[in-house]
Amino acid sequence: MTEAVEPPSPSAGAALVRVWDVPTRVVHWSLVLLVVLSWWTAENGHMEWHRWSGYGLLALLIFRIFWGFAGSSTARFSDFVRGPRAIASHLRGGWTAAPGHNPLGALSVVALLVLLATQVVLGLFAVDVDGIESGPLSTFVSFETGRAAAQWHEGAFDVLSWLIGLHIIAVLYYWVVKKEKLIGAMVHGKRAYPEPLPQPLRPASALRLVLGVVIAAGITWMVTRAFQF
Amino acid sequence: MPGQLFRRKGFRTVGAAMVVASLIAAVHAATPAETQKARHEHYEELGKAFKAVRDQMTAGSPDYAALAKSADVVHKASIDQGKWFPKGTGPEAGKTRALAEIWSKPADFEAAQKMFEGRAPKLLAAAKARDVDAVKAAFKDVGGACKNCHDTFRSPEE
Repeated sequence: MTEAVEPPSPSAGAALVRVWDVPTRVVHWSLVLLVVLSWWTAENGHMEWHRWSGYGLLALLIFRIFWGFAGSSTARFSDFVRGPRAIASHLRGGWTAAPGHNPLGALSVVALLVLLATQVVLGLFAVDVDGIESGPLSTFVSFETGRAAAQWHEGAFDVLSWLIGLHIIAVLYYWVVKKEKLIGAMVHGKRAYPEPLPQPLRPASALRLVLGVVIAAGITWMVTRAFQF
Repeated sequence: MPGQLFRRKGFRTVGAAMVVASLIAAVHAATPAETQKARHEHYEELGKAFKAVRDQMTAGSPDYAALAKSADVVHKASIDQGKWFPKGTGPEAGKTRALAEIWSKPADFEAAQKMFEGRAPKLLAAAKARDVDAVKAAFKDVGGACKNCHDTFRSPEE
């Protein structure tokens, strides 16, 4: 992000509360960048870049899943994944705003992560029709299975695009109708809340961050080498 | 035992019919649709062989026999492909990704085929020499030749 986005100016009786930590925000915008890059490189036949972009996505997803268990409070799955009752209650307006994902937004986060992970895994096994371009793990499957993975890889992208579209529409709805600037919050990490202020996020230690980066980079490196050393 | 089988009268007739049928098949020229189907299968075999080369060259401990065998399939295809595009087997004859340019620009198409034919022997030689780095380089070169032709003479995937 080159443009600095102003934090929302708090209205009377409202103040800024820290909602998203740095790793969560960096992962979010890196995912945006690499999904666009992956789409563009695939459309234009730059398969070497497409593989690198996919490896980047793999590392980000591994880190995000790790962060979902060991990260700051608002990044944790246990903090935001709710059952259908909570979602229904949220839709009726019965949910009091707390920093982090609302129950319905959580569903979208999980769906996006699952689809992205599916997409990346399919790509790892995919083989093109000529056997020229392929994902690093295609060596473990037959040509036919690799072709099937490639076709699913293409089909899953359509589903992913619809979900991303839905995600963007929801964010715009909050912006236009509910006057809440969620994009800004995902950039600078803060959001305006009325009094009484909710608890801000509980950050995770730098050691955990390092651990997450090492795990993500390590697994990704092994996958790119098809576990052959 | 086939010898015994044909000693019986009924089976002798069957055997004779089979001989006649295969003779007819040998003389019968392939229809455009049959040629297209056979061509498709040839390229599928080539794709599989190419993947098999890649599988071995990226393996921790390559199976050199399998590598050479697959490289040989690629090499043979590079020689045979000249015969896979007789006139009348283009888009006018049925569903195919082969573009009409193959027959309207024969010199360009031949040049593209020659590129493949010129590079494939290097892949085979590197595979036989068990030189994985050379195989990787040749794989890239041959793949480039495939793409060079596909970009001009094959329609994009649906």
